[in-house]
Amino acid sequence: MGDVVLEAQRVTMVYRAGEIETVALDRVDFTVQQGEFSALCGPSGSGKTTLLNLLGTLDRPTSGRVLVGGEDTSEMGEAARAKLRLRKLGFVFQSYNLVPVLSALENVEFVLLLQGVESVERRRRSLAVLADVGLAELAEKRPNEMSGGQQQRVAVARAIASQPEIVLADEPTANLDSKTAEDLLDLMQRMNRERGVTFLFSTHDPRVMARARRVVRLVDGRIAGEERRPE
Amino acid sequence: MRIAWRSLWRGWRRSAIVVTAVTVGLVACLFLVSFSNAFVEELVSTAVETRLANVAVMARGYAANPDVLRNLPGDGVIAQIAEGFPGAHASPRLLGDGLIQSARKSSRIALAGVEPERESRVSVVSRSFVAGGWPAAGAGGGARRLGELALGGALAERLGVRVGDKVVIHTPGESGLGAFRVSGIFRTASSSFDKTQVFVSLADAQRLLDVPGRVTEVALALDDPEKAAELAAFARAELTRALPDVELDVLTWREREPRLAAMLELMGNTRWVAYAAVFIGMAFGIANALLMAVYERIREFGVLRSLGLPATHLVWLVLLESLMLTLGGVVVGLAVGVPIVRYFSVAGLDLSQFSAGLNEFGIGAVVHLRLRGGDMVSPLYIAVLTALVAAAWPAWKAARLRPAEALRHV
Repeated sequence: MGDVVLEAQRVTMVYRAGEIETVALDRVDFTVQQGEFSALCGPSGSGKTTLLNLLGTLDRPTSGRVLVGGEDTSEMGEAARAKLRLRKLGFVFQSYNLVPVLSALENVEFVLLLQGVESVERRRRSLAVLADVGLAELAEKRPNEMSGGQQQRVAVARAIASQPEIVLADEPTANLDSKTAEDLLDLMQRMNRERGVTFLFSTHDPRVMARARRVVRLVDGRIAGEERRPE
Repeated sequence: MRIAWRSLWRGWRRSAIVVTAVTVGLVACLFLVSFSNAFVEELVSTAVETRLANVAVMARGYAANPDVLRNLPGDGVIAQIAEGFPGAHASPRLLGDGLIQSARKSSRIALAGVEPERESRVSVVSRSFVAGGWPAAGAGGGARRLGELALGGALAERLGVRVGDKVVIHTPGESGLGAFRVSGIFRTASSSFDKTQVFVSLADAQRLLDVPGRVTEVALALDDPEKAAELAAFARAELTRALPDVELDVLTWREREPRLAAMLELMGNTRWVAYAAVFIGMAFGIANALLMAVYERIREFGVLRSLGLPATHLVWLVLLESLMLTLGGVVVGLAVGVPIVRYFSVAGLDLSQFSAGLNEFGIGAVVHLRLRGGDMVSPLYIAVLTALVAAAWPAWKAARLRPAEALRHV
């Protein structure tokens, strides 16, 4: 395994709703290394999405530190965190979450545009990634003209186009039928093998867990166990 | 930019409502402002072309205390000097008060002695005769041949006289009695002028008011009324040099009637009230539409933020949508409003139902709207400001979204 890409140190997350406090994560230590194809699993409310959000700098922990590529994010302002996400992280969400007014190609281009990639290069790279996920012919289609599986493939293309250090995928197969889910997992596994893209999933889908080489189980906001499998 | 533009089309019904609201508001503004322009211009032109003139030369203090004994030499020297200014026309006037009496009734009058040929170049009265014309120089006041006078239509009606009828004028002077025959009846846009004004020849007025060879003012009109201040400065300098012993005032109509000038300025400012009222209403509409758009897209904004879009870009996205909506409304508003106003500037707006009231202000029954270039530019600035102000709150809401929270939004 390679360098540490993500690291959570004694991370605690408490949600407050009026007087009620809910501890979503309780002093969790966790690392992800370069090239992993890992899954966070556990029942609903176990804290897997919360941990994924904290590792993706989409939220701030109540206490503890999150390091992305060795950079401590706890003292960073929102602008710096946005820049960090842009440079180092890719996201795939449960409900696709493509920008509805942009075509598949434009959705993939969007992150490259934010990165300041010049337009011709941006288009070339986006088309190449779309071709890689098997959607070259749907490049000009808008999300509402594509199936769920196709949208999720575009989301994967968008996540890997910017060549992030890690792709964080929150329940990526939750809304897909079995065949589409298997195809998507094939795709991500191929990206992991061929391109060396690191993936971290949050899931309770057995198909995802079956493919992951490392499965970390969360229960009640704590890591309850970990299983590593050979390639 | 692309996201902003396409988002407007995504909620095209909402966008159409906002654009329509801006359009209607702008058309209303343009109409109100051009009506106000026309109102003010007509008010000024009537006042200037009946009583005030662009510039007037008077004996010192006459404007504040209009006594016939505060007068100037009526030998034509002042008129001749003033007419040295390009495009200036001068008419000596002798003004005083009096009483007119017909066979049936009497009425208080404002008497003006003029040289009709000169007066016709500075006054609207020449173009306003509905019967007869200017009085010929005569011998009113006791001689066998009657003098002549012209009077306003409203006064003629009150006295029950027509052209050719005989009337008598009384003035405070020692020789202040004269019999005259009506030579003409005029109707200007100002009913108050028509109710009281009587013109006689300058010679007859000098005799009636007992100031032979004198005038109370020399009225100066300009081909280009915008040069009134220049003419006043010219006349002041030239007359002081040529007539060092004559104490005189040279006043523009604004200096002569500061209350009218102040009132017009106030009316000019009402356009800003109109703009403000319309655009404040618009601002609420735009803010409401944008807030709804922001709430509907919280999840989408969460995605954009999680992909690395800085909060400031999100602010710009919302502001840009607001600007596009508002400027769209401005473009449509100008495209619709300008032709409407142009039409009424040529055809005129028939306000004959209110003509009695309007005539009191010196406004005719048909108002021709006036739209100036600046009137179309101001709404642009105001619209941009409105768009930014209206979008500020929704933009701030969007910028404050925490990505994880926004992604959880249903």
